[in-house]
Amino acid sequence: MTELVAKNIDSADLVIIGNGIAGLTAAVEARRLAPDSRIVIITEQSHPTINTPALKQFAIGKLNHEQLLTYPAGTEQARFIHVINARAEEIHAQDRYITLKGGRGFGYSELLIATGSAPTGLPPTLPGRDFDGVLTLHRLYDYLDLRRRLAEVEEAVVIGGGAHAIETVMGLLYWGIRVHWLIRGDTFLPRMLDRPASEMVLDSIERAGALVYTETEALGIVGRVGMVAGVVTNQQQLLPCQLVLVCTGTTAVTSLARHCDLKMKHKQGILVDEQLRTSVPHIYAAGDVAAIKDPQTGLYAPRAQWYAAVSQGRMVASLMTSSSPTEELGVPWHATRLGNLSMLTVGNVLQWQDTTTTLADSSRSSYRRMAVIDDRLVGYLSLGPSQPDGLAIKCIIEEGLSIRDIKKSLLKGTFDARSYLSRRRTHSAQRMVTTGKLPVADGLEKRMQAIRNRSPQASRQDEQLPVTRALPGTDPLLRADIIERNTDEDLQLFANPFVTAPIELHRSRGQQDNASTDAGMRATMGANANRLAERGFAADDKRPLTPSHIIESTLLKAPRVTRTGRSPSGSLWSYSRPLPSVNVNSVETPGTPAGNDVLDTNRRGRKSQFMAPSA
Amino acid sequence: MFRAGLSKHGKKTVTLHKTGPQVAQELVACIGCNECLLACPALDEAITIDVLNRETLSGPISTPVAHFARSCFQCGACVAPCPVGLSREAMMMWLKVRLLRTG
Repeated sequence: MTELVAKNIDSADLVIIGNGIAGLTAAVEARRLAPDSRIVIITEQSHPTINTPALKQFAIGKLNHEQLLTYPAGTEQARFIHVINARAEEIHAQDRYITLKGGRGFGYSELLIATGSAPTGLPPTLPGRDFDGVLTLHRLYDYLDLRRRLAEVEEAVVIGGGAHAIETVMGLLYWGIRVHWLIRGDTFLPRMLDRPASEMVLDSIERAGALVYTETEALGIVGRVGMVAGVVTNQQQLLPCQLVLVCTGTTAVTSLARHCDLKMKHKQGILVDEQLRTSVPHIYAAGDVAAIKDPQTGLYAPRAQWYAAVSQGRMVASLMTSSSPTEELGVPWHATRLGNLSMLTVGNVLQWQDTTTTLADSSRSSYRRMAVIDDRLVGYLSLGPSQPDGLAIKCIIEEGLSIRDIKKSLLKGTFDARSYLSRRRTHSAQRMVTTGKLPVADGLEKRMQAIRNRSPQASRQDEQLPVTRALPGTDPLLRADIIERNTDEDLQLFANPFVTAPIELHRSRGQQDNASTDAGMRATMGANANRLAERGFAADDKRPLTPSHIIESTLLKAPRVTRTGRSPSGSLWSYSRPLPSVNVNSVETPGTPAGNDVLDTNRRGRKSQFMAPSA
Repeated sequence: MFRAGLSKHGKKTVTLHKTGPQVAQELVACIGCNECLLACPALDEAITIDVLNRETLSGPISTPVAHFARSCFQCGACVAPCPVGLSREAMMMWLKVRLLRTG
């Protein structure tokens, strides 16, 4: 292996551009899979790979420099991974070499682009953006800078409406700094959280001591002798501060895709397929730069999260070394701490509000929302003091498992993933022994196909919910199917991860568009509105209150069912038919307390949430 | 909170372990923020999270990590602070089992 550490190599089997977590993970994993290949990392970064999510803890002094390292120092040398400190400028894909800064060429057999993302920062025309004390937080050096300044700061302004901003706000509060937090929109993380969840987060941050300004943007930064003195906002305010921290999101670094002699498709990131291949042969992309298809929606978007980057790095290593990958990328998963609350989003919880059944629960100072199609979970959002087992929920969504018997515990946040998964394995093994057949699971792609087919991709780009179409080949469940599913094997079938049932999508009555769906959500939240208002949650009275199929948790609200009578097949019917409209008492009289309803709720069975249409 | 044993009803048992693939997946998801180690009442070694993660599933176990794994009493204090909701105690259980196997 001595030739691997030679200094003047000008080509390698695997060339990886970028030494972020995706790049280094790919290199380490590729070395394990291909002990004799030549692996080179080309990076501009002058420090080893670090745990970037831990930078906030580092900035406020909870961690020291050594604790930031992702791999022990000297890992690259120990594994014969050659690191070149240079900037890669062009890709000559036809001749399979790249050009480094200064004109040096470097050949590759397989190339991985893992250049990550760059901060969006403040608009280039914003007055005062160059004053000392205006920091865009993204890289290690930004946080080193912040760490040095914190002791002298009494007041700071944080700009940005994402998870990154909230972590920064909490870090500053930890240091006893007075924090003004500016958010451009009127809610927090509008793409991931609905309004109740967003208000819960903002409420908790305000209680922690930050001053939150929604619908506020910085118009300019005021300085004195080159130092920041304050921020002028579009609400005609001057917020005095000694530090301005910019957390306005990131964009993928796609400059290499633009400087490639063959056309490499890129938009918000470099588009890759399920195998992380770009549109140019022998070139892969992973990490924040790669725009990956969401198996549920079919849309391409970068997943700028740690877990996604590590798993993509591992996956791409096996693909580049021609080994079979052991993992799939699956549905989006994001878990983080937002102040005192833990947030988890899995799958797509805010999409398809016209076809999914949405269940929400906001008991015990936490909030959970589930999107369900038939009895399959497609999206899960949880916000509360404790974090549920998100990876288990991800697994439930990806495998398309029936959640009928765990729906309540998922909604209440009492889901015990360990006992559930262990019970599931027992049932699968038992079924394997009794039937003598090995269970065969559908691929992720096939399972998600049904969900994806329901909407044309084009109409989804601008977040317009498309007109609902019935799925091709998903006729209503045959009566025979239902009878079979209600036999004694019921429990066993539902515990079996490999049972697949056709997914059926119907449009609920009263669901005209996105706005009315949201209004329906608000309507069913009606009983709780007073309590929410008492806790500082603003009620949204502008939207019309329309009955919808969105059903509140029984803890909060008992929807009064308009019709009676249930078919013998119980709740299964209700899954395969359009869900009935429900009237909510408090919709008409939003001011009345909901005490009686809550009592009534407790007397209802679980199935009363769903009602079969009369035949 | 001692998780092993009986629940308040005195009957239900609690599963302590996770399977190897589950632990491996959780190790991948660990963001290295050290919150679990900061919360740990049993830790008296200078261990960084990257070393602990690396030695949990495979490979040789270094002396500090082995000492730490032996002193872990599965109190669960590490679980609540984790921002991504991982079960460090299940990973420590895995490490304990590996220690027993290797002697």
